[in-house]
Amino acid sequence: MLKIKHFIEQSWLLITASFFFGLLIAVTSAALSPRIEQNKINKRNRLVGALLPEAKDFVPVEGGIEIESIQGKKETVEVFRAVSAAGECVGWSFNAIGPGFADKIEVVVAVDKNFEKFAGFDVLASNETPGFGNQIKFDYFRDQFKGAPAEGLTLATSGDNTKIDSEIIAISGATISSEAVVDIISNAINQIKKQTQQKGLIGDDRQK
Amino acid sequence: MTGKSEAKTTAYRQTLLAGLWRENPVLRLLLGMCPTLAVTAAVKPAFTMGCCVIFVLVCSNIIVSLMRDLLKPHLRILMFTLTIATFVTIADLFLKAFVPAMSETLGPYVPLIIVNCIIICRAEACASKNRIVISIIDAVGMGIGFTVTLCILAGIRELLSTGKIFEMQLMPEAFVPWAAMSMPVGAFITLGLMLGLVNKVTNKEA
Repeated sequence: MLKIKHFIEQSWLLITASFFFGLLIAVTSAALSPRIEQNKINKRNRLVGALLPEAKDFVPVEGGIEIESIQGKKETVEVFRAVSAAGECVGWSFNAIGPGFADKIEVVVAVDKNFEKFAGFDVLASNETPGFGNQIKFDYFRDQFKGAPAEGLTLATSGDNTKIDSEIIAISGATISSEAVVDIISNAINQIKKQTQQKGLIGDDRQK
Repeated sequence: MTGKSEAKTTAYRQTLLAGLWRENPVLRLLLGMCPTLAVTAAVKPAFTMGCCVIFVLVCSNIIVSLMRDLLKPHLRILMFTLTIATFVTIADLFLKAFVPAMSETLGPYVPLIIVNCIIICRAEACASKNRIVISIIDAVGMGIGFTVTLCILAGIRELLSTGKIFEMQLMPEAFVPWAAMSMPVGAFITLGLMLGLVNKVTNKEA
């Protein structure tokens, strides 16, 4: 009994404060979480909306799609079906993540409705070297993906980067960052394409 | 009576000024180096970081000062950390909700305010020993000192690495940006030179 009394004497402030602070955080979180969720959705819609201008709404594929990451880990990716104002499927978008030069690179990728051509990609999070690797965010590098075939991407260190084909020209001085982007995107797209085909989602306009 | 209140005002002014110059957390106490080096690539994130620190510092100093008589010596650090963590989480949620882009730029450095030595130092050195008014003034002084230093450092780095301050073009067209200034090396060099300059000035004063 004495021990319990001693324990309570010593720690009542800590216990009360924990409850009080916990409550404070819970209230703030409850008040702000709808806004935070909305921010995330807005961000995705803005980025993907720029890549797929016809898209009006994004419908998540139920249950997501499980893929194997570049490091060999299983992870679930949220895949979104982009739907136009008329209710037709105009494309797909998904996030892909993988190792870059300095830190992880997370990109959002948009493809056309049959997973045949890229509509483009955008960088969600990266920490590549300013002046070199962070040019993966620049238009001249990203534009190479717009309209490029979705499968069989390769990287070349020199060539014409205005030509749209499966050959992506690396950023000079940042081959590793360029390679990382190509690897991350092709790793994800191959597996996602296969699985969406298996689920019978591609080329089926009745799915809404 | 007037003498007493005058002494009080002087004490308040002294506390406020201590944080700004004499005991400036970054330049004189060398505390909070992690955010100082990490978020000063541009003025905007540095300023946001400073505001978060001011908010957390003021709130935690108020709470610690209120419960200073109840603190058990061996549990006090735990109580400080609990208080600080609460307000940092709240600040982080607010950033995520209202300035999502800035929240992404700052990344892990907002949650890292929890282990920022400035705040725990002020809780230990000031708030746990002083009345609430002095604690608040101390928090504001220290917070502003931290923010101003960060903004100066960030200003120098942003100007040299992009030619802009607050995203406004200041340098002439012919200026070649120094990419190194926005990388960690730029932070170390600029901070080192600033500390050297401050030491030189204070040596002359003394």
